Amino acid sequence: MNSMDVKDLRRKVENIGALPTIPGVLKHISSIIEKPDISLNEISDFISSDPALTTKILKMINSAVYGFPGRISSVSHATVLLGLNVIKGLLIGVSVFELMQQAMQGLWEHSFDCAITSKLIAQRKKLKEPEEVYAAGLLHDIGKVILILEFPEEYEKSIHDANQQCISIFESEKNRFVENHANVGSWLAEKWRFPNNLIETIKYHHAPHRSKYAPMETAIVHLSDILVRARGFGFAGDSFVPAIEPAAFELLDLTENDIKEILREMDDSLEIIEELSL
Amino acid sequence: MPRITVDKLEPGMKLARPVMRGSMVLLGEGTELNDNWIQKIKSMEIESVYIDGPSQMSVPKDEMMAQLEDRFKNVADEPYMDVIKKLVRKHIEDLYE
Repeated sequence: MNSMDVKDLRRKVENIGALPTIPGVLKHISSIIEKPDISLNEISDFISSDPALTTKILKMINSAVYGFPGRISSVSHATVLLGLNVIKGLLIGVSVFELMQQAMQGLWEHSFDCAITSKLIAQRKKLKEPEEVYAAGLLHDIGKVILILEFPEEYEKSIHDANQQCISIFESEKNRFVENHANVGSWLAEKWRFPNNLIETIKYHHAPHRSKYAPMETAIVHLSDILVRARGFGFAGDSFVPAIEPAAFELLDLTENDIKEILREMDDSLEIIEELSL
Repeated sequence: MPRITVDKLEPGMKLARPVMRGSMVLLGEGTELNDNWIQKIKSMEIESVYIDGPSQMSVPKDEMMAQLEDRFKNVADEPYMDVIKKLVRKHIEDLYE
């Protein structure tokens, strides 16, 4: 795909409604959440009108890992409690569940585990909106889904290269694509009118020092990606733990004991996830 | 110390960690479960509890550790990665105890 220029790829991704490989339901959701003036009520009505979506959203929020175990019974309650951006993120998250599973074995697990871990670190750092960081963790690799769906053979080769050459998928993508999954994902996040901090966590999760609006959130997703891989959960295209960016690690300022407890909390939460098949 | 879902609880199992609601202890560590307690736990929207006994790890420890080494092989000399690796290693080792 070296012949394809960046603009062309970006135009294709932004026009997700016209991509033949994207299922109808995701196109529809995309068209809803990209509306500039979408209100909480509209999005709540939209979710409520779809029983399958309602079930998935409520199941996710009510799981013990999300922090409201069994306490939220309606979509309208959930939207009020979590706010527009988190609901938009969750909506995309649960909608791409099947797509992720088809696209890459283990990618959903990786994404979900990163979401949980991001939230755990955000809570430990006492961030105001740990649910937003959860959504960022859930969607950080969404660009991979698009690349796989649009260029399945090329992406398959990237995965093969990564494991043959013992390099990360982020590195091997560079050799076959004009853009990496982080940038591709950020185009979608912009199209969906996600807030700047969510766009940046997706865009810079491999280079958190470049984040202007959300350096802490981006560093959190960056570390979550590393911890989830280090622990051996899921699969995101290669089997290697990437290096942590020292500045991000210093910004997070976690003690060894913090990390120890995060790892323990991860295992506690993730064991439950196995039961929570969406 | 395995964590099991409430539907798999059986009388005679012992709690390895207390069952909590918020910061309140509902059932203390070491409590031996009977039908009554199990019903109570089931009615409390708790998904799983820790019980005494060896964890059922699906991969043998040696294999798990070899995989860990493999995952970290590209970044052994990178700053802070030795700390992260040490902590993850210790964490996984503890899972086998």
